[in-house]
Amino acid sequence: MSATSSAQQMASLYESTRAALNASNPDLETVRSRLSQLKVGLVQITAQSAQVARDSAFQLLKRSILEMGAELSIKTGDIAGFERYLAQLESFYFDNQLGLSESKVMYPLIGLNLLRMLSENLIADFHTTLERIGLDQLQNNQFIVHPVKLEQALMEGSYKKVWQARSEVPTPEYLFFMDILMTTIRNEVASCAEKSYTGLPFADAKTVLFFTSMDELLNFSKERQWIVSPSEKRITFPKNVENTRLFQGENIMKQNLAYAQELERIV
Amino acid sequence: MSNNEGATMEVELTPEQKQAEERRILTEDLNRNVKFLERGIAASEVHYIHRALRTVLALRKRLQPEVLAEIIAGYASPSNQKTVSDCLSSILEALGQQRPAASSTAKVCEPEVCMYFGLLAQLFLLDAKEFERGAQLSNVLVAMVSSTQRRTLDSVVSRVFFYYSRFFEVSGHLSDARTLLLNALQTATLANMKETKAMLLTLLLRNYMHYKLYDQAERLAAKTTFPADAPNNLLARYLYYMGRIEAIQLNYSQAQMHLLEATRKAPSNAATAGFQQMVHKIYVIVELLMGNIPERSIFRVPILKKPLQPYFELTQAVRVGDLAQFQDVVRRYQEKFLEDQVLVLVQRLRHNVIKAGIRSISIAYSRISLRDICIKLHLDSEEDAEYIVAKAIRDGVIDANIDHEKGYVKSAEIHNVYATSEPQHAFDRRITFCLNLYNESVKSMRYPGGDHRKELAYADEAIKREREYAHELENEDFDDDVDGDAMDQDL
Repeated sequence: MSATSSAQQMASLYESTRAALNASNPDLETVRSRLSQLKVGLVQITAQSAQVARDSAFQLLKRSILEMGAELSIKTGDIAGFERYLAQLESFYFDNQLGLSESKVMYPLIGLNLLRMLSENLIADFHTTLERIGLDQLQNNQFIVHPVKLEQALMEGSYKKVWQARSEVPTPEYLFFMDILMTTIRNEVASCAEKSYTGLPFADAKTVLFFTSMDELLNFSKERQWIVSPSEKRITFPKNVENTRLFQGENIMKQNLAYAQELERIV
Repeated sequence: MSNNEGATMEVELTPEQKQAEERRILTEDLNRNVKFLERGIAASEVHYIHRALRTVLALRKRLQPEVLAEIIAGYASPSNQKTVSDCLSSILEALGQQRPAASSTAKVCEPEVCMYFGLLAQLFLLDAKEFERGAQLSNVLVAMVSSTQRRTLDSVVSRVFFYYSRFFEVSGHLSDARTLLLNALQTATLANMKETKAMLLTLLLRNYMHYKLYDQAERLAAKTTFPADAPNNLLARYLYYMGRIEAIQLNYSQAQMHLLEATRKAPSNAATAGFQQMVHKIYVIVELLMGNIPERSIFRVPILKKPLQPYFELTQAVRVGDLAQFQDVVRRYQEKFLEDQVLVLVQRLRHNVIKAGIRSISIAYSRISLRDICIKLHLDSEEDAEYIVAKAIRDGVIDANIDHEKGYVKSAEIHNVYATSEPQHAFDRRITFCLNLYNESVKSMRYPGGDHRKELAYADEAIKREREYAHELENEDFDDDVDGDAMDQDL
């Protein structure tokens, strides 16, 4: 079978898979198995004929397949898979040497990826990716602006804004990562609270930590080993006594010995 | 006296005579440099070669292809290696000059000398804006490098690579140069050509950063080691690129260290003004991001004063902790920051402004309500103010306590710093710095082996030569950076 004809076959398989994924109630298992067929096809064609592989129509197909893969992994909650697809798509998005037209889902996917980095606390990667996005998109594209604003709020500590951003997501896909982000934030808030309050009443603690029910709060308190007193309806944070010994003898000894050694070399 | 003589002579010379005089001087200078090269090769002493290269940029302004062709003709010996003679003829071709017949009286051309001619030709083509031909010639030169590997080639080759990459950059397809530079890096590492390796690393970093491939740049830097005894100009450039990459990846303390070192290693004169300005711009931002306030004296240096004006206003806004003023500065200078490619970094400063504000409030008030903080810092809501203050407490920005029920922040007593081990640490850092400085200067001393004994016999001559050499150094040392500078300016 020639590479060209199999590329055509793949295109039709892609169309049908796409339709299956876009259906109102998609059968994710079928989509997944077809997707892996498509991926095998991609590798085979690249190996068979370098000429077809360089063809821009084929590259376009490859990009669409990878994008579909990324969408599917969001639907199935496969974060590692999503990361892999995005890593492959990066060369299409940022290093466009073939002159392909810009993909419609490019910015939503990049935005999702940014959100993923935030939820995994990969702030350095987040900023490296931001550097590569043009200023115009950075300020006006709703898919990009959302994670950028979130990051600013996170950095300055406006957790309330982060909480509110949950209801302002540009597409429902963003919710998947927002939920993960919420857990991260809750832990952040908890560690801030430990340091800055001596204690909090139940009701206040519940709102501060964005809990909806009392049970969640109590479980969370147990996890973080907070002192809960049901009679006062109050949580007290254990003060960890910091080990600030003023005189660190060993350290000074080490430093002085090092100086002596260096001085000896000079004299 | 001598000035007067010069003036009268100029009057007497006709334009033709003047031209002939210029050509004569140029020929002399070129021949002298070639002699230095040959001497360097014979003694395998790199500093003769450096001396020949030092004047390259001074020659650049008065280079004439005819003169160069004439000298090259003197090296068209039939006993030249094939690669060398091929290379010489492509240099002549690129300059648009006749290829001379090989004559038996001509001297044998060493690869270094051939490269030197190539380098001059590259410069000429670059100035004449013949980028197409320049790129072609550079390809030939670079191909020759891979077939000949000699330690004495090192310095010449590193410059050839610089212009190789420059040609690609000015003609707008820098990414095409990447593969070859990477291959050359491998060769240079294996052959232990330190200067070339250092040059290639900086060129590659620049190449990646041109396309904003910070990831790749970072990985390249992590997998390679920059040669320890590379020339300062290259080291300064390398440190600058590293600083930029680290700043983007939030590794501020490393970035600050590298940028500070870059400002110190870069020669401080008018020729490198662009480089210094750029380094200082990034340095100021990184300092601010780390929560420090850069020294006022930076903004007073004459060459930095004007270009750093936006950064100065930015610093003021951050220092005061005024969010409105900060946003105003960012809005007014947006174009400027964008041009310097620091806008994203600047936008990260927002929370530093808030932190600075909180810190000054906590110092001024022993107890303040959250609502007042909210008003003072122009925050959106009291709840946010509470979270922000809580975060500042956890990050160690301020030492305070929040009373949630009564809605106020209470600052803790200020500790006496001298009762902690903080001064000890500061002291230790400084001592370590001084000791390292001492060790480095010991390491960088040079002791030429045996050579000086011969020269002792001609002490007078040696002293005279040294003086001449020192004079040359004074005049030409920094010319070396002019082009690098141009590169960094348009970065």
